[in-house]
Amino acid sequence: MTTGSRSQPGRGTVSRRGVLRAGGGLVAATALPTGLAACSGGGSGGTVRVVGVADEQQPITEMIAAYRRSHPGTAFSTSFAPTDQVQTVVRTQLAGGNAPDVHVLYPGSGSAMSMVELAKAGLLAHLDDQAWTRTIPKGFDAAYRWKGRTYLYSAGSSVIGAIYNKKVFADAGVKPPTTWSGLLDVCGTLKARGVVPIALGAQTPWVTQLISYALVPNAVYAKDPSFDDDMAAGRATFAGSGWADALGKYQDLQKRGYFNDHPDGTTYEQQTSMVATGKAAMAVQVSAVLAAFRQAAKSPDDLGMFPFPGGDDPANLWIPAGVVVGLGVSARARNAAKGRQFIEFLGRQENINAWATAVSAVPFTRDSTTRLDPALSDFLPIIDADRAVPFMDQRWPNAEVQPAHFAAVQDLLAGKTDVNGALEQMDTAYGKSS
Amino acid sequence: MKAPRTAGPRLGRRDPAVPPWMFVVPALVVYAAVVLYPSVAGVVYAFTDWSGIGSFSFVGLANFHTLLHDDRALASITNTLLLTVAVVVAQNGLGLLLALGVNAEIRSRNLLRVVFFAPAVVSPVMVAFLWKYVYNPDNGSGLNGVLGAVGLGGLRQDWLGNPSLTLWSVAAMVVWQYAGYSMVVFLAGLQGVPPELHEAARIDGAGTWQRFRYVTWPLLAPALTVNLMLSTIGGLKLFDQVYAATNGGPGTSSETLSTVLYKEAFVYGKFGYSTAVALVLALFVAAVSLLQLRYLRAREVAA
Amino acid sequence: MSTATAGGVSAGAERPATARRKRPTGYGRYVLELVMVAAAVAFLFPVYALVALALKSPSQIAGSPLSPPTSPTLGNFGRAWSSASLGSALVNSTVITAASLALLVVVGSTGAYYLARCVRGMGYTLYVLFLLGIILPFQLGMIPLYKLVDDLGWLGTYQGMILFYTGIQTPFTVFLYTGFIRALPQDYAQAALIDGCDHRQAFTRIVFPLLRPITGTVIILNAVFIWNDFFTPLLYLGGSGKETVPVAVFSFVGQYVSDYGMVFAGLVLAALPILVVFLLLQRYVIKGFAGGLKG
Repeated sequence: MTTGSRSQPGRGTVSRRGVLRAGGGLVAATALPTGLAACSGGGSGGTVRVVGVADEQQPITEMIAAYRRSHPGTAFSTSFAPTDQVQTVVRTQLAGGNAPDVHVLYPGSGSAMSMVELAKAGLLAHLDDQAWTRTIPKGFDAAYRWKGRTYLYSAGSSVIGAIYNKKVFADAGVKPPTTWSGLLDVCGTLKARGVVPIALGAQTPWVTQLISYALVPNAVYAKDPSFDDDMAAGRATFAGSGWADALGKYQDLQKRGYFNDHPDGTTYEQQTSMVATGKAAMAVQVSAVLAAFRQAAKSPDDLGMFPFPGGDDPANLWIPAGVVVGLGVSARARNAAKGRQFIEFLGRQENINAWATAVSAVPFTRDSTTRLDPALSDFLPIIDADRAVPFMDQRWPNAEVQPAHFAAVQDLLAGKTDVNGALEQMDTAYGKSS
Repeated sequence: MKAPRTAGPRLGRRDPAVPPWMFVVPALVVYAAVVLYPSVAGVVYAFTDWSGIGSFSFVGLANFHTLLHDDRALASITNTLLLTVAVVVAQNGLGLLLALGVNAEIRSRNLLRVVFFAPAVVSPVMVAFLWKYVYNPDNGSGLNGVLGAVGLGGLRQDWLGNPSLTLWSVAAMVVWQYAGYSMVVFLAGLQGVPPELHEAARIDGAGTWQRFRYVTWPLLAPALTVNLMLSTIGGLKLFDQVYAATNGGPGTSSETLSTVLYKEAFVYGKFGYSTAVALVLALFVAAVSLLQLRYLRAREVAA
Repeated sequence: MSTATAGGVSAGAERPATARRKRPTGYGRYVLELVMVAAAVAFLFPVYALVALALKSPSQIAGSPLSPPTSPTLGNFGRAWSSASLGSALVNSTVITAASLALLVVVGSTGAYYLARCVRGMGYTLYVLFLLGIILPFQLGMIPLYKLVDDLGWLGTYQGMILFYTGIQTPFTVFLYTGFIRALPQDYAQAALIDGCDHRQAFTRIVFPLLRPITGTVIILNAVFIWNDFFTPLLYLGGSGKETVPVAVFSFVGQYVSDYGMVFAGLVLAALPILVVFLLLQRYVIKGFAGGLKG
């Protein structure tokens, strides 16, 4: 027990807490937890250092390969790690004055590696002179921009919805529901057939928030689109808001027995395997993990995705859609100029498309060449009708609200607190200075 | 303590058995460069409001004041202590039993020693990853599956999901990993017990328990000191296993001082405050170890 | 294990007669053996789960996770090996671990030689100072140390990692060596000194060879820590192409989280080298502790 347990931050953690962290959440594609690999970029001199989160490994690796075909003189060194480790690594490098040229950046505010947090500290170079920044829809400002300047590159948004096993649905003779009461009926039918209706892996912290996020757009933002501003101004609190309805429904699903037993002891990996193998019918998840679910299934076509209906008017359903984790350029790094050129390359439509495809996201700007993941087709009309709400944490003022939400949901599922107590925990965290 | 001995290398000559101080210089240099200097330089941040990036200002003792009123950190101290006590008692108790077992003349003892020690060489994070599978609540796999298979289905638990059980589940995982480590230390102590003493006691009519109590146990004192010291320090600083297995959850039910201090630094962006917590943890561990060392060494001498 | 009862007596041929005489008689021994073997089986359950899953295909895992693998496949190991580029990672880990261990043995044994013989004043103060290194949380010095390694230009190099591990493990190494040397009889070294050797010669010719058992302990325990460390190589080596085994393994644990078979195969591959080293050195580990405890 001596040397092995030296307490060292982040050493080797497999957790991927907060993958959805902050700013718009992002999340993680296939490579949720960890994932770090590296390709050596050759000599030190003009090498562009890129540090990314595991979820970005596939698109970044592909994009660098494509970039080097037209810029063979630019060498890259890349390193990827799961959320916790990459956050620790990049913050240590920033603190030590040895910033990577290009590094992982979370949209909006609300986390230690978020765009606002780093821009405030003067650590990011703005990208305003790049053409792609002018195509970012106004509604995404909070995710990409701080004080009117763009600091984040991100390919687009991922949505939260229900990933479901088509075969299990067909066997039970049910179709994806479009209303809350329809959802309860479907769950009832599935449960009667001995299938777990909704797999929930709440032992993995970031998974806890997905059902809240799926329900809050209808419970809160459909009625009060300015809720974030009201919170910021102190005119509203989580307790007593539509959040109470959302968490009430979350709890209701558990009380009716529509989750697997012991969700607090079940991990994301087990949740994935339950849906992929048909032990469970669906899981509320981010589209970015579709690839991981497909990998675990016998055939990728076994799985589909539908908007998780938080309301009872199918024509007026609201959904969460958050800007995915992206990249920023250091203000002071040695090869920052080359890093900016690479980002400009990523801003071309075909590259936005490619990145978005790799993480099952909806590109922030689309043209005729954009091919969406077919599983997302039910979400597109809602996004185009402006009924998609950014992930809630994107406007939270500090990095403590999101972990407080995770803990509150786990406590709720364990019966250690009630809806009001859970929301008070979140209000306390919200009140802390950033 | 004779003062002249401290006066330096020149006077040290008076005792030719003492090697020249040059012998300790390489160790001291590398230790000072990698541990001492950075730690001392890092302590400064405990008195600042630094976020870990950007600029900061000095805030005096404000971080320590905050700590006194930080419910999350204070609650984690209780967890840290419970976990440490559980691990120290169970790991060393089990370690002692295993050592007595594999010290006896049984055929499989060499193989068993390797089996019991093997988990200690595996990385703690891998152990946590493996045990998350072992602890999964499904009735058909992992520990619950085994309990069912051997007719103990009634003992099935939601090992990591039940907030009042989580801390103990983590403790059991740590004990599994390091009981063999304690075993090896006790085994070393047992091998130092002269067989003649046992023989003499047996002739005097002492039973198995009496021979253990009055012959073996007193001679195990040095081994016990090493084991208790190392497992206490390890328990108080335990991070990897807790963070990888539970992340402090469900809720905050398995949060320890080490997980709190990690989160403050790298998740919440409060590096200054985190350093203050780390400093308090260090002082705490130092105080506990020192007290323990004094007591145990005194006990060794008495025994 | 199953041969313990049947073949045991004849196997006694290679055991010296003295060992046989020491054995207690009666059934007690068999009961004890049975209890210990049962304990070992319980102990091995997590390892069994690890290996069984590593040998199964995903569909076998979904069907019956706990049954023994009926048609074991090494495919998981092959896939794990290639996706994690474990080959080069093994080289990196071996270089860093071996060099750090060599330095630790030299630095730790010489330092302890002084500290064990100079137990008052300066010597005692230094000893306590070294013990402090076992207690200090790593976080305290993390950022200043990173700056230091950066200033040296040693980020992304073997020597940066070797310096780090040597420094961080010196306190524990000194602690082990000092306890052992204190328990050594001083006669040999003193005789050598009287014969005109200086301390350097006495140490290299007389003392160091006597340290063999504790050196075994030092090597195995430090090797475990260095080999398994994950965060430091990620911080110091990320992107350099010199990543170590844990960094490589966790890269694909991330990408294939739901594929237990492959993940567990990777974990087995990562732990295997260090287990082999332990098997080779385990005699010394126990002896080393035995010596150290006398002090």
